[in-house]
Amino acid sequence: MLKCSGLTKAYSKMLFENLDLELGAGEIAAITGPSGCGKTTLLRCICGLEELDSGEITLNGEDITSVRTEDRGVGLIFQKPVLYPHLDVGGNLRLAGENIEKALSEVGLEGFATRSIASLSGGEGQRVALARALLARPKILLLDEPFSSLDHELSLRLVEDVRTVLKQRNCSAILVTHNREEAAKFADIILEIF
Amino acid sequence: MKNIGDKLSVLIFSSIILIPLFLALDRLVWVAGFDPVRWFSSIEANHLSQGSVGFTFLQAILSTIATIAIGLPIAWQLGRYKWRGTGLMRAVLTMPFVIPSIIAAMGFLAFVGPHGMGLRADQDTHLWTLIIAHAWFNMALVIRFTEPVLSTLDRDLEDQLRLLPGGKTFWGKLKNLWIPLLTPSIAAAACMTFIFSFTSFALVRWITPLESTLETVLADVGERAGILGYEEYTNDLVLASSLIQFTVMLASLWLMSWLQEKRQSLLPQASENSNLKPNPRGLLILVPGLFFALAPLVTVAWSSFRIPVREQGELTYHWGVEGWIEAWSGGYSNTGVGDALLNSLGYAGITLIVALPLGWSLAKTIHELELSKSKWARILDVFTMLPFAFSAVMIGLGVLLGILKLDGELNSLWLLPVLPHIMLTTPFVVRIMLPAFRGLDPSYDEGARILGLSHRARFWKIKLPLLRGPLLVAITFTLAMSLGEFGASWVVARSGEWDTLPVLIDSLRSRTGWDPLIQPTAAAAATTLMLITLLLFLTVERFRPKGEGGMF
Repeated sequence: MLKCSGLTKAYSKMLFENLDLELGAGEIAAITGPSGCGKTTLLRCICGLEELDSGEITLNGEDITSVRTEDRGVGLIFQKPVLYPHLDVGGNLRLAGENIEKALSEVGLEGFATRSIASLSGGEGQRVALARALLARPKILLLDEPFSSLDHELSLRLVEDVRTVLKQRNCSAILVTHNREEAAKFADIILEIF
Repeated sequence: MKNIGDKLSVLIFSSIILIPLFLALDRLVWVAGFDPVRWFSSIEANHLSQGSVGFTFLQAILSTIATIAIGLPIAWQLGRYKWRGTGLMRAVLTMPFVIPSIIAAMGFLAFVGPHGMGLRADQDTHLWTLIIAHAWFNMALVIRFTEPVLSTLDRDLEDQLRLLPGGKTFWGKLKNLWIPLLTPSIAAAACMTFIFSFTSFALVRWITPLESTLETVLADVGERAGILGYEEYTNDLVLASSLIQFTVMLASLWLMSWLQEKRQSLLPQASENSNLKPNPRGLLILVPGLFFALAPLVTVAWSSFRIPVREQGELTYHWGVEGWIEAWSGGYSNTGVGDALLNSLGYAGITLIVALPLGWSLAKTIHELELSKSKWARILDVFTMLPFAFSAVMIGLGVLLGILKLDGELNSLWLLPVLPHIMLTTPFVVRIMLPAFRGLDPSYDEGARILGLSHRARFWKIKLPLLRGPLLVAITFTLAMSLGEFGASWVVARSGEWDTLPVLIDSLRSRTGWDPLIQPTAAAAATTLMLITLLLFLTVERFRPKGEGGMF
């Protein structure tokens, strides 16, 4: 279970102040809001890529506010899938774990292990990124607008597929998006940041 | 600077650069006394250096003009039109820049000398030969700086301009598009050409032996400087020449850095245009360009097999491998090509072991400081370029005099030439690795951290493979530079047994008196070095990112 209390972060302007957030096991939330309101920064703070100005984050009862990103047990899927071009699909997945064929079949990409990253379409790339993120067995998965660069039809299909996989695994997740339709289809609860 | 390694690299680099030069300056001022007016007036007062300031500027300015005049039309043809084998042509045309200058000198001398066109008897040809040799050496800079701007320009910019009143005529396009776009690149290339011509050593030493530049003055009198009570006027000359060179180089580098910044903001980010048209008339420029690039190199190899024979006052030639046999057996020198090559490889190997991690670490530190928007980033960036403001001979002298100040016995150390090689190559490693670090998407590292990879695992599994290309460029460039380095090695190599290949070539060529095998022997040694350099260069070309517009 994720619990965020009093999260505050500002750059030249205040992004969020005293923000509280709670998410139960297996629960899926979506955060919506206009560009520049701090949605992405919030995710980066939860996984430790950015430091908070103040506040506390606990995950399954453990305070992870000062824990290194590598040791937090939080997964993140970026807006553009971060796949290493010097490795093939299998090599990218092996960075997270060993059971790569099973992970690939879970996202509908059986037999893709030896494919090069350059040969993947946008949707396939996001599926590989999802398979890799889940292979690392995160306690919670954060998704930073991963469907925004895909066409409407494909993004809606992928939204459903990803939700199914997360529910099967009982994995909590937070999706950041500016698309309300996507948020409604994906999440159990929707939070709005202004 | 978060970790100890970063701090250590800055400390090591500062020590390597500053300590020898500070000690050298201290020693020179101690012997000469602090009298700047006397130092500077000694240049015109002494017959060894009279006219050297004027000649240095004259040849550097003329060389820069000639280089732009030759390089720009070639770059235009390469960048604007479709050619079969563009990659190979680009490689051949930019090859002269990586060829050691001593080989270029051998090539041009063989071409215009008594066994070639026979122009050397007329001393008026010396200056022009030097200027053309400098243009040959530096045209790669013009091509590397300007051609990517031409070949990667977004076609929409051109098409849009054609529809506007300002772009209807050729002159309109030139005025409104090409000149503003190309000027920073041309000026940056001109700046670098000026710097290299201003401090050129091997070419000046061999092609214009009757004239002196500040660099050749330094080399000639430097070895006698720093000794109390012995030819003390040399200290004045060294101090004055060094200070003038340093000031001019520093000003040129500052200008260069400013132009580079301007250039980067104008450099188009589009990929190489694939819809270029062929231009058969362009062959009239490219074919002579290719011939120009290859001729001195072919001449060196060719003259290694061409043995002159003087019979009854008549000069004839026969083909043979006697030059190669003499070169490898060391019959005309303290060491053979094999031993000199081993020395060169040894120095290059040790240089690489130190310069590569040092340069990598410095580039990484600068990049990390840039990310945290620290003002130290710019300071460290400029500091790592400091050796560019010293010529090779100045660095060699700095090391020699600095060592003399510490302990005279140290100058018999075999390892001594490695120090100037490290000083000269580390800034190049930084210049190659820094853009690579800047270009590396930070989300690659962030993604790996999210996956739980440790710092070490991220280095081996992510960073190193992703930076493999620039790293290999840095490795081969360091090796090639160290192998071909002449100015500093010539000053520092105190014993014939340590002669590097370029020093051996110079000593072979310096032998006086008529001997039919001298020229072929020197040419055979030069050909050996040339082949190794070309091998390294071709390796570099395989890993160079496409559309890369830097000098390296």
